[in-house]
Amino acid sequence: MSTTVPHALDISGLSAGYGRFDVIRDIALKVGTGEAVGLLGPNGAGKTTVLRSIMGLIRQRRGSIQVAGTDVVAMPPFRIARGLAALAPEGRRLFVDQTVEDNLILGGLHLRHDTARHEALLASVYELFPVLKGYRKRLSSYLSGGEQQMVAIGRMLMSDPEIMLLDEPSVALSPVAVDIVVKALIELRRRGASLLLVEQRIDVAIRVCDRLYVMTHGEIVDEMTPEAARGAGMSLIDKYLG
Amino acid sequence: MLQFLASGIAIGCVYGMIGMALAITFYVTRIINFAQGQLMMVTVMVTAELVGQGYSPWVGVAAGLAASAVVGVLSYLIAVRPILAFNRFGFGWLVSTLGFAAIVENAAAYFWGPTSIPFPTILNSTSVHFGDAAVLTGQQILAIVVALLAGVAFELVRRHTLFGKIGMATAADPEMASAFGINTKTVAMVAFAASALLAGLAGVMIGPSTFANPYLGDTFGTYGFIAMMIGGGTERPITALYGGILLGISAEGANAFVNSRASDWFPFLVLALILVVSPRGLFSSTGPLARLRPVRAGR
Repeated sequence: MSTTVPHALDISGLSAGYGRFDVIRDIALKVGTGEAVGLLGPNGAGKTTVLRSIMGLIRQRRGSIQVAGTDVVAMPPFRIARGLAALAPEGRRLFVDQTVEDNLILGGLHLRHDTARHEALLASVYELFPVLKGYRKRLSSYLSGGEQQMVAIGRMLMSDPEIMLLDEPSVALSPVAVDIVVKALIELRRRGASLLLVEQRIDVAIRVCDRLYVMTHGEIVDEMTPEAARGAGMSLIDKYLG
Repeated sequence: MLQFLASGIAIGCVYGMIGMALAITFYVTRIINFAQGQLMMVTVMVTAELVGQGYSPWVGVAAGLAASAVVGVLSYLIAVRPILAFNRFGFGWLVSTLGFAAIVENAAAYFWGPTSIPFPTILNSTSVHFGDAAVLTGQQILAIVVALLAGVAFELVRRHTLFGKIGMATAADPEMASAFGINTKTVAMVAFAASALLAGLAGVMIGPSTFANPYLGDTFGTYGFIAMMIGGGTERPITALYGGILLGISAEGANAFVNSRASDWFPFLVLALILVVSPRGLFSSTGPLARLRPVRAGR
């Protein structure tokens, strides 16, 4: 008899939206444990809505969202955030009147009584982004965009989640900062993390991900390997990302 | 001269505590609880009732504060939470908190009657002379000490405890706070309970002077609101205390130098003038006295 390891994320038949309108319809998507999956699409395709639905930030949602075998579709966000899923949102949305370290600590609130694990996670964030260690006591509003993105990713890591959700981590960053973020995501993959990466930049998704989904108009319309995406090149951009 | 300053600081500390109470709930939930004055009244009435029945003043005060905290949480659950769940960015809470205030006030008037009942004197029968210049009752000095301790305690909790940081995160971005495991509903309930306790403390400080009356909340709720607005409490709750002290001094000054009823209208004039000069309050980040605010952590 074999035991089945649940996917880090298994979504089926997911529809979600605001008011009377569904922004995304009948989404089916899987992320295996230790896998990095990209979700590509143009502005308004519904990529962010998928991430917000997983985190429970959109109340109007139907279908199934399983995180490591646990159905989260009826859970409030603060329960989902306690070790199941964590989000590095678009625009970072740090707690700007708090220090770097306070932002990180707030990311791992549910682990605060497990001091050893909490300390190990904090050390792993500083190992991933050494520059943050020197800025521990600095207000996060005083950091550059790239450094703020590091804090956003670190804050996500602090909850030690089953699935990490990243919403356009490369947006509005310098090429150097994008490179640092991409290398950090590759390092997270190497450590065995499961990632769902929303991106508009195909080159970033290709470098980080094992598989790619393409979304347009609220639906998943294609699935491909990074190699196929690289081969498609400009035709992929013309076809889907415009 | 010194007498109106001293008296103004003492009564201003009471206004400031109610202003801080208003500001704490605003800080966490972005709504103004217009039942704050009535939460103060609940403490005063329950304390007076229990002491009248023969319990010690300290038992009465403890029970009164607990009653305010319970009614404060109820005000959130009944008048605020459902409104915000329906529309987080709407202003329905303006009406619902005013309605809750009217219900609490009329319930108190029904239960205790509309006339004042005695409140324990606590320290009102002692007085301290500052040379020939001023005299304050022990109760007034207690009000100043309690207000300052409450302000310092609030800032210490806000800046140096995990709960304070959770409150700051909820205040800054409630959606992200919940996305990082914070139960924002619990945080809001704690904030409403804490603000009701603070308003109740203000009631205990002023009760010996005003006696216990079901309609006490109207006046002090309004003065607390003015204290919050002129101080800049919508940004930092502690500045409502500064606003309250300024308000108290100006009201007592008006009584001393204009006429004995001037404190009925003068605070509104002060509010209007200050809001023209500094719409977000004197101690707000854009206000003329911004430099006197507490320094932010981590700079």
